[in-house]
Amino acid sequence: MDLNLKPAETFRGDFSVRNSDAAILRFPFPFHEDRYMYAVNIEPHMRGGPTAAYDAIFDLDEHYIGECEDRALTLLDDPLRCQVLPHMMDAEWDTLELLMESLALDYPAQFTLTKNDASWHWVNRPLGLDQHFTFGDPASLPCPPFEYITRQVQGDFTLQDQRENNLFMDGGMVTSQADWSLNFDLGMSFHEWHGPVPVAHETGVFDRALAYLLRLQLGRPVRRLNWTLTANPRLDTSPENYPIWGPDKAGITPENVGTKMCLRVELQTLTRLPRSNAILFGIRGYLIRLEELVRVKKWGRRLHRVLRDLHPDIAAYKGTLPYRHIIVDYLSAFDDGAVTSAGTSPDQDLL
Amino acid sequence: MKMRIAKILTLSPSIAKFTLQPVSGALPVAAPGAHVIVEIPGPTRIWKNAYSLVSSPEDRGQYEIIVRRVEHSRGGSAWLHGHASAGDVLEVSAPQNLFPINRLAKKHLLLSAGIGLTPFLAYLHTLNAPFELHHLCKPEDEAAFRSLLPNAANITLHTSRNALDLNALLAAQKLGTHLYLCGPDNFMRVALATAQTLGWPDAKIHQESFGGATGGEAFTVHLQRSGLTLEVAPEMSLLETLEAAGLAAPCLCRGGACGECELPVLSGLPDHRDHVLTPERRAANASILTCVSRALSPELVLDF
Amino acid sequence: MSKSRPIYAPFKLDLAGKAHLIVTNQPEVPELEAALANIEIWTVQTIAPGVQAPIRDNTRAFRAVPELFTHLAHRLSRAATGLRLYAIGTESFIWDAHNIAMAAGLSATEIHLTQSGPLVRRVICTHCKTTIEDVPQNIVTCPGCGAALFVRDHFSRRLAGFMGVKVDAETPGQIPAAEVFVS
Repeated sequence: MDLNLKPAETFRGDFSVRNSDAAILRFPFPFHEDRYMYAVNIEPHMRGGPTAAYDAIFDLDEHYIGECEDRALTLLDDPLRCQVLPHMMDAEWDTLELLMESLALDYPAQFTLTKNDASWHWVNRPLGLDQHFTFGDPASLPCPPFEYITRQVQGDFTLQDQRENNLFMDGGMVTSQADWSLNFDLGMSFHEWHGPVPVAHETGVFDRALAYLLRLQLGRPVRRLNWTLTANPRLDTSPENYPIWGPDKAGITPENVGTKMCLRVELQTLTRLPRSNAILFGIRGYLIRLEELVRVKKWGRRLHRVLRDLHPDIAAYKGTLPYRHIIVDYLSAFDDGAVTSAGTSPDQDLL
Repeated sequence: MKMRIAKILTLSPSIAKFTLQPVSGALPVAAPGAHVIVEIPGPTRIWKNAYSLVSSPEDRGQYEIIVRRVEHSRGGSAWLHGHASAGDVLEVSAPQNLFPINRLAKKHLLLSAGIGLTPFLAYLHTLNAPFELHHLCKPEDEAAFRSLLPNAANITLHTSRNALDLNALLAAQKLGTHLYLCGPDNFMRVALATAQTLGWPDAKIHQESFGGATGGEAFTVHLQRSGLTLEVAPEMSLLETLEAAGLAAPCLCRGGACGECELPVLSGLPDHRDHVLTPERRAANASILTCVSRALSPELVLDF
Repeated sequence: MSKSRPIYAPFKLDLAGKAHLIVTNQPEVPELEAALANIEIWTVQTIAPGVQAPIRDNTRAFRAVPELFTHLAHRLSRAATGLRLYAIGTESFIWDAHNIAMAAGLSATEIHLTQSGPLVRRVICTHCKTTIEDVPQNIVTCPGCGAALFVRDHFSRRLAGFMGVKVDAETPGQIPAAEVFVS
């Protein structure tokens, strides 16, 4: 797969990150119709989908170097953003193997993995890494295996240990989360981690989701999409740094909403791991400024309609209430009332 | 994936070890406790049987399974013993694990009987925490099982000559011990009851049942949504009947333990033989696990 | 936002257990339907150093919670499967006891927690990681970083405390009135 890497841009401070035309067209737009309702939207995770973001097992894009650098900065400031409980070492190696094999397969120009029994050789050209190590021996890597490899992949990851008919979030690399704390949630069971969602028709949804995931099969990963709105293309919107990003929202005005307000989409994958029998939960986040998104005509129309007609309870849950009218007013200029096609594809090859 | 029988090792008149190698490519790594579903081609039908992997999880070049020829067998194991030869190619599923090791256990206590030893043979390759294995077998099988087990102080074979004092063993375990049981239904029932009487919580008892489907009276099944009516023969399971008709019926363990094959029942009385449904759900008769359960009434109507 | 606030059941013996150990940091000791030989009760009482702490029948008193916890860890390291642990008291106490028990190899179903006593919370400041004990209301100033924290109903069993997040990050200086905890 082609990977046109940009030099590092920033996801904090001056927010220099911009999406190229290609990045805009491959964005995993989440709305397949002109309205949004909660739904069980799990599907098999196979290569291919409405945009190029679905083509790889673990998708990388032009922001790879910038996102890895942002992660490194976050970890320097707070090492507790990456923690794995001691009994999950098998799952750490499972993850390292899965991610290295996937990256080497999908992006051979950038990554090479050579194995000689337990002697492995990993080359990551974009980050300038050349590492010989012994698979299974943590001392042969500069840091624990899960941290080592997730520092080199875009998106957050958590490790779920399956025991007692439940899933426990017993490890994670979480530096681009939508406002939840790994340090606080580490060790929580499935229901504790998700918490009771205050929407009546959600009753039983987490029970069903858990039962489904307990039977997730090796070799049959699944995926789903989640979305929120974020002020500024900031990756680290953690509770820990809430004093830093909390004030961002207040600075949204009709003049800057197109530039500053971003649609944030998580392409979530769930993969059964072989040795540990644990589940790897990948949370691959994509940020797009509203002014970038509306260049895809269909998406501009659709997003306007979805947010305009959003159920107030859902709007409150998504944290969009305070400035929803500013966003909807801005988007209305890009909605000429034309019919939009079903599905999430952009319906145009050029912007 | 297609796998070729590379070797058949006869361990006793009723127990044989099969070594399977992939026709092409490397095998997926399997966690200890994993099983594969082997499609066994018989003269009139295909059997799909689940077998625990006994080989080392890190061995990407071959899988090993041990097959006991079941008396009054519906055919699968008998075919493997009587008709399979090296070179035969079989369709084998990817491994799935319904009997994994608990990673918080301070000690693993493994109790097995008969062919139930097989998942523990895979465990022995990778256990990090302290463990004890006690295996019960008939005197005529002792030599076969001994050949499969390393000589170690924490591994004991029990026959009628040196019976296992189950009560004493379970009563002496410290708090962090987890108990793993694998074997025929009778053995499981007794072991489970003994543990529970001694105050063992369910969270620390792990079971893999090798029951599987055992056949029964013929019955009719109407499939509402498919518009089909099928006859379930005495030696076929409901799941196998659906599969033979070309339907993509869900399943995973094929042993009544995981719930994946559950289908809604619209009318008729199921004969529940699974390990998943609670007493309330059994009484409600609103669903059935097709891989092992049958019917008490002459007909069942399923929402499928 | 997500909530994970535990809900507690009243004290009741788990008759599937073969031995029972009750620990409490409150002065009241639970009423037991029958005085069984396999039940022990550990309490905390004011006892001067140098004075022998009373051990009577199946009860034992400790000078302070840390001493009780030291003995608990030691006791559990030698106990056989079949034991049930009951912790009765303030929320921090019962979850600290719970975590000692889990480290010793008890599973969550072998541990029964009952909340009693003052409704005060342990709060962990998300920003500077400082732990603040005995917080009685839902706004507290962090002694570590000075932030005014809102105490969310989000509870971590691992950390045995509630999450505190800066309450005025979006509206600096505007701190809402605090509410006393009623649960």
